Amino acid sequence: MLFSLHFSPPPVIAPLPFKPLSHVPHHHHHTLNMLPSTHVLKPPLCSTMEHFTLNHHGKGGEEEEEEVDQTLPLGLRREAMPRHVAVIMDGNRRWARSRDLPVRSGYEAGARSLRTIVELCCKWGIKVLSVFAFSSDNWFRPKVEVELLMSLFERGMQEDTGIFLRENIRVSVIGDLAKLPEALQELILNLEETTKNNTHFQLIVAVSYSGQYDVVQACQRLALKAKHGLVEPGDIDASLIEQELETYCSEFPHPDLLIRTSGEFRISNFMLWQLAYTELFFAQSLWPDFGEAEFLKALLAFQQRRRRYGG
Amino acid sequence: MDFNKESQVSCSWYAQIENCLLQLLWHLIHVTIDLWYFPLGIADVLESYLISWGLLGRYKSFNVTKLRYLAIVVDSEEVFQTSKIIRLLQWLEAVGIKHVCLYDNEGVLKKSKDFILEKLDGTILFWDAHENDVLSDRQHMTLEFVSFSDGKEAVVKAANVLFMKYSKSGATDQNQKDEIFTESQMSNTLKTVGSGGPKPDLLLVYGPARCHLGFPAWRIPYTEIVHMGPLKSMNYGSLVKAIYKFTMVQPNYGK
Repeated sequence: MLFSLHFSPPPVIAPLPFKPLSHVPHHHHHTLNMLPSTHVLKPPLCSTMEHFTLNHHGKGGEEEEEEVDQTLPLGLRREAMPRHVAVIMDGNRRWARSRDLPVRSGYEAGARSLRTIVELCCKWGIKVLSVFAFSSDNWFRPKVEVELLMSLFERGMQEDTGIFLRENIRVSVIGDLAKLPEALQELILNLEETTKNNTHFQLIVAVSYSGQYDVVQACQRLALKAKHGLVEPGDIDASLIEQELETYCSEFPHPDLLIRTSGEFRISNFMLWQLAYTELFFAQSLWPDFGEAEFLKALLAFQQRRRRYGG
Repeated sequence: MDFNKESQVSCSWYAQIENCLLQLLWHLIHVTIDLWYFPLGIADVLESYLISWGLLGRYKSFNVTKLRYLAIVVDSEEVFQTSKIIRLLQWLEAVGIKHVCLYDNEGVLKKSKDFILEKLDGTILFWDAHENDVLSDRQHMTLEFVSFSDGKEAVVKAANVLFMKYSKSGATDQNQKDEIFTESQMSNTLKTVGSGGPKPDLLLVYGPARCHLGFPAWRIPYTEIVHMGPLKSMNYGSLVKAIYKFTMVQPNYGK
């Protein structure tokens, strides 16, 4: 089948506003009013920022002037952005092996990649990002590697708490958390509690998670509710099961787009129930190499495809 | 005041020139990208035709025993193209695929199953073969027909069966964290309610959207999923290539 690209029509550009953008002082840029809403064109597509520098989505109080960064790369349409993107972050170990680096380096590079994607999601108006950080199957990896991952999760959550608070990001962790080290469980509970009222963006981290586990625990919760008379057994249907799935912590529990990196074409037991009508994008690059350009490609592919919801 | 008017007019002119240049740049970028992908697309089509004509050696005969169970998902808009589906199944049989599961969301293929079976000599239903213990019979392909009712609805049925067993068990109030049901119980109960078919190794999606359209999710946790494009554009070469690529995959399943 011939590859064909269908891009959105070129933007309509109106006269320049005079006010320069204060949050990109070192970039030469054009500011444009693009119908139907105002956009700022950032030059070159792959302008990756090293640090989290969003300065207007944090809870800074009403006194701060709301400068909404509505930068979207060329070709992306804001009205067609997925609300919920899910990612299977595969390829960290292969990335490290290909560079003769220890596995730890691969995971650390993967964490940097995650920060980049979170930042882009916040900037481009994606409301929820779910990431498959550690699956139920990953428990079978060597103990040393599992302990390394647990320590990296702990460190990441501690180090990034300030960013989550500043950028108004809500963090939710799903999975069989009882299997995690107690210190990590406590950290997760505190982080979820601390960020539960944040509204700009939600990061869902799946740890010790599998789609089958999610369905079974949902059924379990319903069984207990039925036992306590909170639910009539005869009323149990797909909708009630959905409400007990761990992804129901989100306003948008079903991903619109799933990205899996490293060239594998499987969903690997991730969000089985929730992915029925999710657009699947399988990227060739390994997760640490998945940056702005690849993410843009995935989003463009999503916007181009006609999405069906089961007829 | 005149100065302000003049500067506004010249800004407007600059904006229009900038507008034109940016639109030109926009089109240039798109043409460049199209030109980049066009030869790749041509190469892909050419490869498919070469495979169909049997001119590429590695695709002529390869071992498909690794592909024990294949699922085909057909989009609702294309599911009435029964002749195409039959041709697809004939191609699969020619390649050596023994067990195929056909899915469409609304169960149209289920309703057409007698017609489809009639058109394929010797093909029998998977469950009939299973009951008669002739699954290992290499001469015939088996077919399974599933729809949305075998997916989430089946899980609901299985959940209700588990709830009934749990409530009758007389188990005392337990901590919510204790395990009441297990994944294997769910798998077994799905079989009981008639939706416990094998887990496909490979799932091919024919349709415009790259999603599995509600295929019974419990059965595809580790299934390779390949989007084949619209059914109307299906070709033998692409099918063989997808199956061949699957046989080359070495998954580690997270371990």
